[in-house]
Amino acid sequence: MTQTGTAVDAPPSAEGGAVPKRPATEDRRQKWRSRRYRWDAKLSPYAFISPFFLFFAAFGLFPLLYTAWASLHRVELTAPTDMEWAGLHNYTRLFEDHFFWNSLWVTFTLAVLSTVPQLLMAMGLAHLLNYKMRAASFFRVAMLAPYATSVAAATLVFAMLYGRDYGLINWFFGLFGVDEIDWKSGDWTSKIAISTIVIWRWTGYNTLIYLAAMQAVPHDLYESAALDGASRWKQFRYVTIPSLRPTILFTVVVSTIGSVQLFGEPLLFEEGAGASGGPDHQFQTLGLYLYEQGWRNLHLGRAAAIAWVMFLILVVIGIVFGLISRRLRKS
Amino acid sequence: MGLFGTFGFEEAGLYDEYEKLNPDITIKQDVIERNENYYPALLNHLTSNSGLADVQAVEVANIAEVVDTQADRFMDLGKAEGASEDAFLDWKWQQATADDGKTIGLGTDVGPMAVCYRKDHFEAAGLPTDREEVAKLWEGDWEKFLDAGRDFRKNGPEGVAWVDSADAVYDGAIASSEGKYYDESGEVIYKDSPDVEAAWGIASTAAEEKLTGNLEQFTKQWDQAMSNGDFATISCPAWMLGYIQEKGGTKAEGKWDVAQSPRPGNWGGSFLGVPESGAHKEEAAKLVAWLTAPEQQAKLFAERGNFPSAPPAYDMEAVRTATNPYFGDAPIGELFSAAAEEIPVQTIGPKDQVIDDNIGNGLQLIEQGKQDPDGAWDEAVKAVDNALDQ
Amino acid sequence: MATLTETAPETAAPARRRRRRAPKAGEAGGQQRAGKLTYAVLLLFTAISLFPLIWTAIAASRTNERLAETPPPLWFGGNLFANMETAWSDANMGLALFNTTLVAGAIAAGTVLFGTLAGFAFAKLRFRFKNLLMLLVIGTMMVPPQLSVVPLYMAIAKLEWIDQLQSVILPFIVSAFGVFFMRQYLIQALPTELIEAARVDGASSVRVIWHVVFPAARPAMAVLGMLTFVMAWNEFFWPIIALTQENPTVQVALTSLGRGYIPDQSVIMAGALLGTLPLLLLLLLFGKQIVGGIMHGAVKG
Repeated sequence: MTQTGTAVDAPPSAEGGAVPKRPATEDRRQKWRSRRYRWDAKLSPYAFISPFFLFFAAFGLFPLLYTAWASLHRVELTAPTDMEWAGLHNYTRLFEDHFFWNSLWVTFTLAVLSTVPQLLMAMGLAHLLNYKMRAASFFRVAMLAPYATSVAAATLVFAMLYGRDYGLINWFFGLFGVDEIDWKSGDWTSKIAISTIVIWRWTGYNTLIYLAAMQAVPHDLYESAALDGASRWKQFRYVTIPSLRPTILFTVVVSTIGSVQLFGEPLLFEEGAGASGGPDHQFQTLGLYLYEQGWRNLHLGRAAAIAWVMFLILVVIGIVFGLISRRLRKS
Repeated sequence: MGLFGTFGFEEAGLYDEYEKLNPDITIKQDVIERNENYYPALLNHLTSNSGLADVQAVEVANIAEVVDTQADRFMDLGKAEGASEDAFLDWKWQQATADDGKTIGLGTDVGPMAVCYRKDHFEAAGLPTDREEVAKLWEGDWEKFLDAGRDFRKNGPEGVAWVDSADAVYDGAIASSEGKYYDESGEVIYKDSPDVEAAWGIASTAAEEKLTGNLEQFTKQWDQAMSNGDFATISCPAWMLGYIQEKGGTKAEGKWDVAQSPRPGNWGGSFLGVPESGAHKEEAAKLVAWLTAPEQQAKLFAERGNFPSAPPAYDMEAVRTATNPYFGDAPIGELFSAAAEEIPVQTIGPKDQVIDDNIGNGLQLIEQGKQDPDGAWDEAVKAVDNALDQ
Repeated sequence: MATLTETAPETAAPARRRRRRAPKAGEAGGQQRAGKLTYAVLLLFTAISLFPLIWTAIAASRTNERLAETPPPLWFGGNLFANMETAWSDANMGLALFNTTLVAGAIAAGTVLFGTLAGFAFAKLRFRFKNLLMLLVIGTMMVPPQLSVVPLYMAIAKLEWIDQLQSVILPFIVSAFGVFFMRQYLIQALPTELIEAARVDGASSVRVIWHVVFPAARPAMAVLGMLTFVMAWNEFFWPIIALTQENPTVQVALTSLGRGYIPDQSVIMAGALLGTLPLLLLLLLFGKQIVGGIMHGAVKG
């Protein structure tokens, strides 16, 4: 991450007439070229990153600031410009808010239950897909099917699979004499069921990301490892994994952010539950609680405060990741 | 027109008819399937005065909030050409009218309630199957409805619940009582309301005694249970008949019938309003008045089963003589007209839906065996209070 | 990882040439031939991945009534085209498909282009405040999207963009995810020496981008473009607020299906299928593209 590649500040050629014998015009051209070169090297990075920041400033910053401002007020969705100063009340109340703590716990468990298996499986699948094989592009595209499946369709299918009375999964377990499981109402069963949806939706996506990175790993590394007598597993462990480290870090960060913001899957998991996350709020994530406060109960200020707390939690997680990866790099 | 769910105006040919009467008008509709998506978007559009259609629909569960907070964004339809207060059920008219007398929406349909029941299961349990006798079983009292359920459980078929869900029992009971969650001054009183206590008592008893199927309405599981005949009764507003027919399909054909509910009440229904910022306000108001006039409401009932909110329609041929072959040729026009005129006038409030949802959650906790009725009530109160607190 | 990228350029090309001439099985981990077990595992995952999609098609080919029954249908019925026709005429599908192609295409193009430029700068160039700015990029990913909707709507309404496609394109035309993704990829896949060599030859930044960065980034650009296109295609929450049925995207148009108290699930599924088909077609094309990108090799001398 600390690579300081190019950047190549101008080569040390043109330090103002170091070569006096040359004709003046050529010298000037040389000078002009080197100056352009230097400016190019200095300014181009900013030119490259500016579209992102310009668009973000135009469409991302205002919402962010508005949300921060709104979180300090009592404000309802029925009149979003009608704010009444509330100080930190929307934040301090969260400490005693049973539903907030519940959603924090739900978010944490769901994040662990879904992210870890998802990334491990994606890594394994990417490794397999990296083999030479028939129908390679078919497999790659098929892996992405869950990601492309419409939300309406996925909901209906999973509702069917996890049905209590007529679900396929209970039917399957029934073959082994397991009693009917009420997946949606159980505390842990509902969490497990939702993590399978998350895993189903996002494994292929991460697989493809890993695959793209694996294909950039130089083949001679494998070859020399093979010459040294390294087994396939050892090649995977000592060549593939280290080469993929930036990408792995990327997927871990992105999945963690995604799972802290987890929203669509628990919202759709049970059609009737809406944003409550079940009658016992057993699968109400932070994202869902935010949504319930803002869009069902119409309390924009309270929702904004939850959003900012989520943001802060992510920032803390980000710092922890940063420290860990720095440690790893040192060792 | 901005709508949600089904109004069926287009399907019943009403747009074509109006366009023929008024050649210079074209009607386009913009429908969002679920009100839970439609309503927040509508609020966004209203509060920023943009993106609004010339006509916007509002569900009854939200009308009080819209009247409370957005009245100045809507035209007063009480004075619109062709709109007549006398044509509507009084309570329906009042629900969309602000304290200062401004009426922001005209009623489309209402949901007078009956009880739908499975004749085959009733017969197996030794209960009467004739709709008059069935109605007598529980006439006037939801407790009697539970008694019938206890009989049913003793003698009825194995694996068939008396009623689909505790929440539906609660909805039926609270809809048929005098009060709901707000008093006349607009204070939230659900915690001390004797009506809520009574309705909760009945529903939680049903849940505790396992008379319910522990099903949540409008889910896949509920659809399947309906198709497979896993419950014997269900609270049936007029529009529910179509749902049962669709989900029950040929498999359940001839097995359902419909009887008067223990006490009449209302479940569902909507309003049409005209935003002030619209480009064609006058034309839109005329259209709304026409669409909600008794004649058109009667046509809509005949075509789609949405029950009119305009009593003059009840005397019209199309409504009076309507029967439903799927429900054993039940005289639904007569049955629902009778119920509609008996519906108690309730004070509705802006947060009815939120309170309702959380009480429903509480009842599910009992059905799922996670709480006893007292514990579940405490949970529900905690959730409601948290939801209401700004 | 630093050593890896440094050794890459000199040896990668010959390795590739050798491989092309004599593809021997089991020679090197990167390109071993797949065994039976590999196929079995992949087939299993493919089946799991495709099942909901296939079941959508099954549901779309049935009637609403049949869908409520148990056991649910597990094979195709005869109503597919009738349901699709209903969906097509009930929802404004023609316009919706056109609009969505435009919207998702623009978002994907913007995300890939700007993501690659910024990702390259963050991965390989040296400039002031680099780390701070990168942290800022990652920080923007952490803003919960649900809450931006209200202020964003207020802004769009002020600009009078309601019901216009730019209201769903411009706010999403760059993504922090895209920048981060390209950065992480280029750190590893683009040898620093290549850029230095080009620089010493006097190439301008634009030339470096065009002749060095884009070729090296191509596989990742294809992946990012595909992921972004699909994501934009299926975006629902914001378009339903910013657009109406007058000028809808596919997901907005689909919300008008199955109106009412009695939604017809088979028609909804047919609509969902209609909305997904172009996507699958595109995935197939892009899938090939990615394979092609690898064949050309990420690292060109």
